[in-house]
Amino acid sequence: MKRVRTSGLAALAVGMLALTACGGGEDAADSGGGGESGGELRLWLAGSDTPQELRDHLVETFEAEHPDATLVIEEQDWNGLVPRLQTALTSESQTPDLVEIGNTQSPTFTYAGAFSDISDMYEELGGDDLLQGFVDAGTVDDTLYAVPYYSGARAVFYNKEVFAAAGVEVPTTLAEFTEVAQTLQQANPTGAPSFSGFWLPGQDWYNGVAWLNSHGGELAVEEDGEWTGALSSPESQEGLAEVQELFTTATSAPRDADSNEPWIAFNNGEAAMFSAPTWARWSIDLPACNKGVAADDESEAAKALLAEQQACNEEKTGIFALPGLEEGSVAPVFAGGSNIGIPAKSGNQELARDLLRIIFSPEYQTMLAENGLIPGNTEYADALGDDVYAQAALAAAVDAELTPPAEKWADVEGARILEDLFQEIASGTDPATAAAEADQLITDTLN
Amino acid sequence: MSAPPAPAAPAPAAPRTPPPATGSTAAAPLRRRRPLPARVGPYLLLVPALVPLAVGLGYPLVRQFVFSFQEYGLAQQFGRPAEWVGLDNYVTLLSDPYVWGVIARSIAFCLVNAALTMALGIALAVLMTKVGRAARITLQVGMLLAWGTPVLATMTVWQWLFDSQYGVVNWVLAGPLGMEGQRGHSWLIEPLSFYAVATVIVVWMSVPFVVFTVYAGLLQVPDECMEAAQLDGASSWQRLWRLALPMIKPVLFVVALLQVIWDLRVFTQIHVLQRAGAPTRETHLLGTYIYSLSKEFSMAGAMATIMLVITLALTVFYIRRMLREDEA
Repeated sequence: MKRVRTSGLAALAVGMLALTACGGGEDAADSGGGGESGGELRLWLAGSDTPQELRDHLVETFEAEHPDATLVIEEQDWNGLVPRLQTALTSESQTPDLVEIGNTQSPTFTYAGAFSDISDMYEELGGDDLLQGFVDAGTVDDTLYAVPYYSGARAVFYNKEVFAAAGVEVPTTLAEFTEVAQTLQQANPTGAPSFSGFWLPGQDWYNGVAWLNSHGGELAVEEDGEWTGALSSPESQEGLAEVQELFTTATSAPRDADSNEPWIAFNNGEAAMFSAPTWARWSIDLPACNKGVAADDESEAAKALLAEQQACNEEKTGIFALPGLEEGSVAPVFAGGSNIGIPAKSGNQELARDLLRIIFSPEYQTMLAENGLIPGNTEYADALGDDVYAQAALAAAVDAELTPPAEKWADVEGARILEDLFQEIASGTDPATAAAEADQLITDTLN
Repeated sequence: MSAPPAPAAPAPAAPRTPPPATGSTAAAPLRRRRPLPARVGPYLLLVPALVPLAVGLGYPLVRQFVFSFQEYGLAQQFGRPAEWVGLDNYVTLLSDPYVWGVIARSIAFCLVNAALTMALGIALAVLMTKVGRAARITLQVGMLLAWGTPVLATMTVWQWLFDSQYGVVNWVLAGPLGMEGQRGHSWLIEPLSFYAVATVIVVWMSVPFVVFTVYAGLLQVPDECMEAAQLDGASSWQRLWRLALPMIKPVLFVVALLQVIWDLRVFTQIHVLQRAGAPTRETHLLGTYIYSLSKEFSMAGAMATIMLVITLALTVFYIRRMLREDEA
């Protein structure tokens, strides 16, 4: 309820801002895109991943460089972002001047012509140091429309005590990972009625796709401009067979659950391992560590207790990057993250480009990394630090893969084809049969 | 002083109005006597109601029709010209067996749900006329709560009840009732049990409306008739079937008509349950299927038009019947 109400308010606020922004947009258009005129620049950030400190930095730096312009940052909820962009970006009077958009949603909008050509800025923004998968997702016919903002990679969290009780070690290859998960499942050291060695819910293709990628499989491939589903390829099938083995022998996670909140079962002692973006560390809350601090308690004592609790949780929890086929390699896990682009209908093209330069400046990129996000320019990834979480995140991010940069990929996700596929595989359907059906649907959707 | 004449005034006014309606000769001089503004006036009063209707309902409907004969997607929204494709969208949809499956499922779901809602609603309404005051008020409050809770809040509760891991339903079945196989049972994963859960929720949410409407109707049945029937030896069952229900038939028709229309376009409940983990493609009904096409406005438009035709076809019987009863 609360979310509904706040998003309603946000919509109202956005609407009102849009009205006031009309003037700003026209002013800039009058000046012929000179870029030095005053006005208001609107940046849409998606979700709350960008910390306040970074937002303040953007506003201060931008306004220092442009004394007669203001920067307004508006936060958009990830939920329903696509339909909101669909309406806002098509209207000259309502469009923001710079938008953050999910990496998997990016191709749909770049193909539709929603963003301005920024190919000439490629070198200036970081060139080949930019996260290449994300650059691909923002490129159409060698024209660059959107650049990577940040990425978050998935890593495996595990309960050290449960590992010790079952007598297993951190696996070093993908095959070993399956064995470890199976051993844990059988040992069930916590005695929970439905225990999972590895928490893998039936619809969780975000994590499951790592097995497909490890064997060289793909979700879809492009040939002469035509996309075809590639789940039936021998490589993909090898990956899907292993996923099915995990489903049947290493997890008790419900077949009707998805990748949301995997830490709940982990916190309840119902799972020994789960895979999630590394910021899941803040959601771990083991009963043995819980200090019973009330959620609304903001006192110093409460903060101290929470810090103690967090340290305890992190001591009892280990993390590693999902291993690849060979010892010492890392599996190409699914990369979550976002792109950033300048809407074609924005009247503040030059100012927006200036803001883009600030975002890709060394200071800002370093700040992103310091806050646990893998920056769009990998040159600054070192600033992630060297704790286990940063190491796992970096190791996983090196080879992380995105969804195919097809124009209509968002439709595949909208139709939930992959959720359905993984659920069928979890239910025991022959992977070849399920994949053939999904391939057909993907091919029909993408072309 | 002014109070007594007030009720008296409408009394003569009432008989004055019918004559112009029945006698055409009386109507003619009446119309001639009234100046133009007076004649247009009532229609002007309709404007505030008609304009929003035309804008809010007419405009989208026209756009939907236009879209359905075009190729119109995201790119067209950003300015690419829309191509006219004639009946292509309709042909694509109607030649797809999957679409026919969705249509068949939707109609079956709609009829089952409307029938169940009506049966339960009438039963509860009759119950309300039989029980004492305290029980009736309890029933009414319960109904109002079910009716008044926002859909999404209701859906969250039901979703939790049927959650495979932590849901109350599985907990009760596996724990106290000892059905160990129900632990972790996924209710939503098989289409049939998915629709069963959906039916429970949809019926639960629309029964109150039927109960209140039918109960209001039953209160209008004159006691004298019922007493007379009782004196003639009719059992209470016969009094209900032969007397009370036939007397409130117009009410039942309207309610049934609304139920059919509502249950055919059911969206929120199905959409939320799908997101809770059901296989999406196997559980689409018309509403959610159209939504899934929403990036391709032209396809969605064509599908929505097909749905409009189905709705009209399903309700034509009721509408004709209603019109006939209006004339009588």
